[in-house]
Amino acid sequence: MSDRLHSRKASRGYDGADCSARGVLWLLCVALTLVLQGCVNATVDEMTFLEPTEGIGDASVVIMGRRHAPDYETEFDFIECIGDHIRRGDASITVLHELEFINMMYPWFEPRTAPLRTDDIDKLLTQQRVADRFAELKLEYMIWIDGSTVETNSSGSMTCGVGPGGAGCFGFGTWGNASDYEATIWDFTDEIEVGRISANTSGQSYMPAVVVPIPIIAPVQGTACDSLGDQLLKYLSAKI
Amino acid sequence: MISGPERTVRAFGILVGLLLLTACGAREVVVKGNFPKPLMDPLPITLGVVYSDAFAQHEIFDEAAGRAETDWLVKTGDAQVEFWTTLLGGMFEEVVRISDHDSLHAHESEIDAVIIPYVADLQYTIPLHTNVKVYEIWMKYRFRLVPLEAVHDHENGDLTIDSTEQLAEWTLSAYGKTPTAFLQSDEEAVNLAAVVALRDAGANFATSFTRVPGVAAWMAGDNKASENAAESFEGE
Repeated sequence: MSDRLHSRKASRGYDGADCSARGVLWLLCVALTLVLQGCVNATVDEMTFLEPTEGIGDASVVIMGRRHAPDYETEFDFIECIGDHIRRGDASITVLHELEFINMMYPWFEPRTAPLRTDDIDKLLTQQRVADRFAELKLEYMIWIDGSTVETNSSGSMTCGVGPGGAGCFGFGTWGNASDYEATIWDFTDEIEVGRISANTSGQSYMPAVVVPIPIIAPVQGTACDSLGDQLLKYLSAKI
Repeated sequence: MISGPERTVRAFGILVGLLLLTACGAREVVVKGNFPKPLMDPLPITLGVVYSDAFAQHEIFDEAAGRAETDWLVKTGDAQVEFWTTLLGGMFEEVVRISDHDSLHAHESEIDAVIIPYVADLQYTIPLHTNVKVYEIWMKYRFRLVPLEAVHDHENGDLTIDSTEQLAEWTLSAYGKTPTAFLQSDEEAVNLAAVVALRDAGANFATSFTRVPGVAAWMAGDNKASENAAESFEGE
């Protein structure tokens, strides 16, 4: 009996040490991540009105990227990031998945046919099946995101080699990124534009390498996503 | 008799040889994608569609311009047929595929007109060609709308179209692009660009069909289609 008790205690003792070691490791990882993140400058401008003070209830929102420009297109993963940000902030808001929405509304939201102005909504609704689908989805807000993230500069050099004794890199590289996005909010029921939010972020990333390359990445696009997501969440949610 | 190490060396040699040959071979893309049915009020028309062999087996072979490049073979035929069948099926009340004598005569009394799509041109670019981090596909289609009487079948099973009996003929262009992405191969990116181009072609076709002068005139004139069809076109 005492043996069993002892063994249980020992086991608990081992668990505690494992836990604290894991905690230290986790803290170290967080600290390292924070230290290794490059700096990002962010500017957010907001102009919204007719805010739904009671929230949007059981209605839904769709966030879509603009992709009609020849030289850039708003990234699908950026749209997904904003959608996830809003869902995390207020689980009661139904944010439709962009690709699913585009597919179920084909061919009305392709780059060639997507409405560019709120006046175009009326034209869309003349198709009975389109109007029925919108009613079925209880679509209240359509948010268009226009913009992209680009690499602004890059310099430095790095050499990597592999030999019988091992492999390694030596050198230094740096590059800059800039994000420029604008969200336009359409009230789908009243067919009017109810807000514009823009986020501009920029940052410099570094990669020194002495045997092992250490990336110090500036989360430029992630910051733009968080900035826009926060503002949209504030607009749509009754909780915030 | 071949000894163990000798066999290993020979196998290694064959493997290296195969790898070298693979590097020299053409890069092939068989376009595949999921195409949604269009969300439209179908036009009250029974449309026949003829996919010629050139259309149903469409492919483009691009020979390498230099030693640094590789040959490219982009096969779009299967995807073209799958896509246009889905699109036309959603746009019109009924669509009948005419491929032989039987299918031509089985629906003779129902078919209002027959459409024949052709791929007039297809061009693509990859970052290697342009130094721009985008894969692009550009397609040009030619469509002919003819009365059923213009489709003739022959003893050998071939179908021919009488070019003198024509309701409308028009061209349509489509464009698809996809940016470079991490862990995405050239083949995957070209496939994605082709799928985007096909969707664009469908969007262009669906929104412009009734505005094609020949089609509009046919719809407004005396034809087998009901009067509702003409009203529906005018309403758009």
